[in-house]
Amino acid sequence: MKRSLLVLLGALLVFSAVGLAQGYDKMPADAVIVPLGVAGTAYENLQPGVRGGTFYISDISNPKKWNLVTAHETSTSEYGYQMFRGMTDINPVSGALVAELAKSWDISDDGLTLTFHLRQGLKWSDGVPFTADDVVFTFNDLYFNDDVETDTRDILTLPDGSFPVVTKVDDYTVQVQLSQIFRPILNSIGASIMPKHKLAQYVHKLNPDVPAGTFNGTWGLDTDPAELCGMGPFIVQSYTPDQNVVMVRNPYYYHYDENGTQLPYIDKYVTLVVASQDVSLLKFRNGEINALGIRPSDVPILKSEEATKDFTVILGEGGYGTLWISFNYDVDNANLKTLFRDLRFRKAVAHAMDKQTIIDNLYNGLAVPQWAQISMPSPFYPGRDYYGGPITEKDAVTYEYDLNKANALLDEIGIKDTNGDGIREFADGTPVEFELNTNAGNTLREGFCLIMQEDLAKIGIKADFNPIDFNTLVNKLFGSTTEAVVLGLTGGDEPNGGANVYKSDGGLHFWHYSAGTGDINEVEKQMDDLYNQAVSTFDNEKAFELYKQSDILFATESLGMINSVNQQFTYAIYNNVGNGNIASVNATPSGTNGLGWDLVYLK
Amino acid sequence: MLAYIVRRTLYMLPLLIIVSLLSFALIQIMPGDYLTRAKFNPQITQKTLAQMEARYGLDKPFLTRYWLWFKGIITRADFGTSFETNRPVFFTLFMGGRLMWTIIISLSTMLFTWLLAIPLGIYSATHQYKPSDHTLTFFGFLGLSVPNFFFALVLLWFLVAVCHVGQHGLGVGGLFDNRFVEASWSFAKLGNLLWHLWPAWLVIGTSGMAGLLRYMRGSLLDTLSLQYVQTARAKGLSERIVVYKHAVRNAINPLVSMLGMSLPGLVSGSLVTAIVLNLPTVERAFFSSLQMQDDYVIMGGLLFFSLFLLLGNLLADILLAWVDPRIRYS
Repeated sequence: MKRSLLVLLGALLVFSAVGLAQGYDKMPADAVIVPLGVAGTAYENLQPGVRGGTFYISDISNPKKWNLVTAHETSTSEYGYQMFRGMTDINPVSGALVAELAKSWDISDDGLTLTFHLRQGLKWSDGVPFTADDVVFTFNDLYFNDDVETDTRDILTLPDGSFPVVTKVDDYTVQVQLSQIFRPILNSIGASIMPKHKLAQYVHKLNPDVPAGTFNGTWGLDTDPAELCGMGPFIVQSYTPDQNVVMVRNPYYYHYDENGTQLPYIDKYVTLVVASQDVSLLKFRNGEINALGIRPSDVPILKSEEATKDFTVILGEGGYGTLWISFNYDVDNANLKTLFRDLRFRKAVAHAMDKQTIIDNLYNGLAVPQWAQISMPSPFYPGRDYYGGPITEKDAVTYEYDLNKANALLDEIGIKDTNGDGIREFADGTPVEFELNTNAGNTLREGFCLIMQEDLAKIGIKADFNPIDFNTLVNKLFGSTTEAVVLGLTGGDEPNGGANVYKSDGGLHFWHYSAGTGDINEVEKQMDDLYNQAVSTFDNEKAFELYKQSDILFATESLGMINSVNQQFTYAIYNNVGNGNIASVNATPSGTNGLGWDLVYLK
Repeated sequence: MLAYIVRRTLYMLPLLIIVSLLSFALIQIMPGDYLTRAKFNPQITQKTLAQMEARYGLDKPFLTRYWLWFKGIITRADFGTSFETNRPVFFTLFMGGRLMWTIIISLSTMLFTWLLAIPLGIYSATHQYKPSDHTLTFFGFLGLSVPNFFFALVLLWFLVAVCHVGQHGLGVGGLFDNRFVEASWSFAKLGNLLWHLWPAWLVIGTSGMAGLLRYMRGSLLDTLSLQYVQTARAKGLSERIVVYKHAVRNAINPLVSMLGMSLPGLVSGSLVTAIVLNLPTVERAFFSSLQMQDDYVIMGGLLFFSLFLLLGNLLADILLAWVDPRIRYS
């Protein structure tokens, strides 16, 4: 016993000697210590690991650039999220807002001044010190600069159209001045910070020698990866198109475990570019990749191999996506217009939706019924009892599958089958019939449409299913020329991300665009009001209650979108991966949000 | 002959211009554009969308956009910039040695197909209607009719789930196993490349085999029934010499022009297999630009493929004149 302890100590000494020899930087004063395995913390189910090894995952497409500011899609941003960090971030386990590059922040009494205290002694991956100048540069010269193409500018815009005013107080203090209280800004001000010493030269505003727009092409795929530098756990080292992206540890990363081991544990993080999901599955089964996000249809195959091949299939809770059917209030046909605007009709459709069949047949049982608009992983999800609390679904608004109820509601509206052909007719004798669209090629949505079509037929409504090209469908939606559509939206942790959808004047309020031009109803007014109130407070508990009210209101009085089911998070990971159980919608070792990768290790 | 080649080459220019105009028009007819996806993102405002539209020039009318693009090619040899990568079109299509790999993969596959199909075609013709002829034809058609993506997937599945190649440290799909991707060249790396290429040879090769085999068989049968073959036999030449020295040499002519025609197939023509087997080809890059409606990359790809098609046809004609003294262009 004693001997093995000695051996262990010896090994530890050797390891730390190797560590010193390789020139690991000494721990900065304000390093983040991750309490892995410490009871009572969000990390209690994880454990400290060992350094070393290469971790392999796969992604379906090639990165398009290395510039996170101008990135438009996840196969590009996932590398950016590894390379960069923001002042605030999301805890990978609990989903709560946490301090990241800032060690803390204060909010003034009037709620209009936010002061961020940055961690001291931090360095970029090339060894250059990180200071408030980088923060001020990133916001004022990149995100708020019209010459720079970025999706981030919109989420940093306050409701009155102004930007937060970001100023440097001293090298380690940044002040953010708001024109009005806007709660989501705490999240969006966590946007990734970029290195001023590397990038300022490409910004036309700061360096008039380069033409306008130069920054948008900066850090493209032809950039030597040695040029890249960041604050995150991994930095891109090499890229072979259609083959792989290799990332290596950032020698100056400021996260450490309780034992003082600098994170990340993994030396190299390799993402294989595999265009076919079927081949990714084969590569996982062949042991070429360590972890894989899987489709419901893959679960039975993997479950049968779980025991012999030494990997685990993780089945988690619902994800961020939604799947719903929606009816256009502004449709040209007068009969349909009256019908679609009748809440009783939408409730009848909700009762005619056979969620259990959808879950069993389309998702292999790996989905849960969905009633709320706000994403299930969000701490604001109304199925929780309080902000960030456990999901109990105490207040869920549900419509059980009940064709009698659905029929009764339709009878009440006054549409009846007068000629005995099984389809109800309007007062003028025309049948209740409409076109049901979804984007062709999405098998889950097409399957959902077919099930809906069958169920609607049972209550005497004829839906003509017509899958069409995604772009055609989007144009039809924006032109408000659809009748009924089945689609999904991606959500997020911040419910205000959906404001563009649920507020009456939103660009994606597609079931009732005329609401934005005056045809607004009482429920929409209330929804607008709740969404506005929920962003005008920094009190998360208060915002939680307001969002809960809005979702209950939407599900009982509006049903502008009638929700169906939410696919569960499914994931497969080899058992030699330590802290693989961190995998959740918020944090997956192969996820696109960049959380938790630094905690994974190889046993 | 030289004048003919020069004339044919000059004809290509107006053809390419017409092709480009037609392709540009077709891209416009496709519903939506590069930004349609962004429209469906709740987080992006109308203002940002309008800014992006202006930046990419998508707000301008079709002919203006075509003219600007065309002018860029003539005045600056600039074929446009990819919306997605913000890098020149041909960099986006060819980077990372895609062009080289495409040609290596296609040439080796072609070699595989021809080296198998020609002898088998000859065998089939000389054993006409015998069981061996029927068997070869059957397998040829089987290879032709099984969809490539399916065959490729089944092959990979067979290697993984039945042969368990992973336990021997072998990977499936791609060009190399993980450990070799960044390694410098060695015999082990070359061997690993071959291990990853043979499924491509088999899948693409078997699909092209039947056509070639039947062509060779038919052509040789035609030739074998000609009078000079009968004369050769009557002279008492051995069957071997009759077939290989007299018949095959003449029967192979139509296949030589097929060889030239298959040049465009070298850079395009095995997209689905390349996706399933995860091979880095120009076509895959072109396909992804089609999916994203990255207009100028699509244009660049189409021009590139058209050029190869025209060159291939020209090459076929030249080859034909070269092997067949009866054909002369003037």
